[in-house]
Amino acid sequence: METPAIPVPEARSAIPASLRGILPVLVALPVLALFQWLMSDAPFASYLLSVVGVNIILAVSLNIVNGMTGQFSIGHAGFMAVGAYIAGVMSLNLKDVALSFLPVAASDQVFFVASLLVGGLAAALCGFLVGLPSLRLRGDYLAIVTLGFGEIIRVVVQNTDAFGRALGLSGIPQTSTPAMVYFWVFLTVLVARRITGSSHGRSLWAIREDEVAAEAMGVDTTGYKVRAFVISSFFAGIAGGLFAHFVPIINPGSFTFVKSMEIVVMVVLGGLGSTTGAIVAATFLTLLPEGLRSLFSVLGAEGSLAQRVDQIRMPVYGLLLVVLMLARPQGLFGTKELWDVLPRWIPRKRKGLA
Amino acid sequence: MSALVQETKAEAGAPMLQADGVSIQFGGLKALTDFNLTVRQGDLLGLIGPNGAGKSTAFNVLTGVYQPTQGEVRVAGQRVNGWLPHQINHLGLARTFQNIRLFRALTALDNVKVACRAQGALHPEGVGLGTKVKGAFVNYRDWWRALLLTPRFQHEERELTQQAEHLLEVMGLSHRRDEEARNLPYGEQRRLEIARALGTQPKVLLLDEPAAGMNTREKADLMVLIRKLRDDFKLGVLVIEHDMKLVMGICEFITVLDHGETIARGAPAQVRSDRKVIEAYLGDSYLESHGGAA
Ligand SMILES: Nc1ncnc2c1ncn2[C@@H]1O[C@H](COP(=O)(O)OP(=O)(O)OP(=O)(O)O)[C@@H](O)[C@H]1O
Ligand SMILES: [Mg+2]
Repeated sequence: METPAIPVPEARSAIPASLRGILPVLVALPVLALFQWLMSDAPFASYLLSVVGVNIILAVSLNIVNGMTGQFSIGHAGFMAVGAYIAGVMSLNLKDVALSFLPVAASDQVFFVASLLVGGLAAALCGFLVGLPSLRLRGDYLAIVTLGFGEIIRVVVQNTDAFGRALGLSGIPQTSTPAMVYFWVFLTVLVARRITGSSHGRSLWAIREDEVAAEAMGVDTTGYKVRAFVISSFFAGIAGGLFAHFVPIINPGSFTFVKSMEIVVMVVLGGLGSTTGAIVAATFLTLLPEGLRSLFSVLGAEGSLAQRVDQIRMPVYGLLLVVLMLARPQGLFGTKELWDVLPRWIPRKRKGLA
Repeated sequence: MSALVQETKAEAGAPMLQADGVSIQFGGLKALTDFNLTVRQGDLLGLIGPNGAGKSTAFNVLTGVYQPTQGEVRVAGQRVNGWLPHQINHLGLARTFQNIRLFRALTALDNVKVACRAQGALHPEGVGLGTKVKGAFVNYRDWWRALLLTPRFQHEERELTQQAEHLLEVMGLSHRRDEEARNLPYGEQRRLEIARALGTQPKVLLLDEPAAGMNTREKADLMVLIRKLRDDFKLGVLVIEHDMKLVMGICEFITVLDHGETIARGAPAQVRSDRKVIEAYLGDSYLESHGGAA
């Protein structure tokens, strides 16, 4: 039957339809400005929160593929590396250029954002090239191919002078600010949420639930998987670009398989499919080792103890994953969002996606 | 066999679905041999046969899940051999599954909404690079609308919700709107699958044992409902059903499969008295009742 003759009801929300798209941005900008002001004199907190932010972007974007779409990518660090190196090299080369009509700081930020976008797009392109052949096939191909991709990127970087080989790239202008990082966190989360609330998100969930049925209901499953993967790769690239602009040096060691697994653990811990779960897990798993490290150094233990935190991190992640699989295989939140699992007395949204 | 294709009906509309000498083999197993079928708008056809006869396989070939080794499938006049299932669906062919395949973690409403696509998101059909590029373009515009939450997107989203709610109501599932599909009782899950299939605005609906697992009463109700759907939604319907009595009751034309071969086709009365059909079914039930004891 054609569309029923009943007119489509107007939205019952008090916010005009034309404003709803932009509203989150209008709210976020002043909050970010305030945040920037608070952070202006706290280099360590800025650094730590930036690391947390980058990991949130990585986890939330990986969740689009591994959570919402039900695929299994284990090479997210590879896409992060692409973004980091492309944006880093670009910034290095544009270091001494400035837009004459802007103050130096503003000009720097313009170039920074441009580098980020170029890095993100490069990662997205890699995502397309990796995703198109492997997502056509069912099963574990994506895992194998993404794993291989991460390794290829590492080898390429180690053998290219422009990328500083194994030594790494240093001297990238430190133009990143916590506000910039969290602006991208905000954008990533916004995109993830809006995908969930649209027919695109429903198509992704449908693929996760039953690919054959989704295809039979008219969902272009390969197309949607590739698009999800490209979007996810784009944000991984952005995360890499941000990272490259607040750490003193980037080298292949920052983007190994261990890093990829760390992101997978975050997504699984938060609950495959839960954006807020990914945020919580990324925050927790980033602050935990940092917290232990600072605790040990405050306790006055020699540096070696603090260093051990890094060494035990992977075994601890592995253990965490095993315990999680046994005790709560769906992760902290399952596919639900934070507001669905809050105590009853807090008003919640109606069930369903979005 | 081709003589049997001469089944032109009185109220002949254009054929919406046509299978022409379709065969498929799995390794050495001939799962379907020289299968012919025509579905027009307003048809209510039955496809029956004992276990393993190839009925579900026929559905899978028609909907593009499997490629026929021989023969041709046409949907809305288009040859669809080599097309992907979603492309065939866009031409107006929808189906349900024998072993219910709902999106289990999604609500009943979202299950149907997946199938209801916004009109703006309809893609050009077909194979080939041209349509692919066009399709990608339409799709990207649509992504941006969703990401920017444009008023048009919001309107379309409400439209989809309303369409889906309407279909839930038609299938008597309004009270399950916000419940996860996996929590619905069996009979309602089967009805939800039909609601979901209707969401794709099909011209032909293929139902694979829609009454399986229901009691006699539910089955009878469902058959009445199917007939109503055909009239209200102007569909052609093809039903697979094990219960001979039920199929005979509502279908106007029946095709009988056994071991992938079409052993009879015709009006219910004609098929019922067919010697081969009786043999196939008697043999089957004989084996069923005596197989355990042997
Ligand atoms: N993908 C496949 N690979 C190999 N053999 C298959 C495949 N799909 C179906 N078959 C075989 O084809 C034959 C027909 O199966 P089909 O599922 O079509 O039967 P059916 O008529 O639907 O039976 P039922 O009434 O039990 O649903 C069976 O022998 C089955 O084992
Ligand atoms: Mg079957």
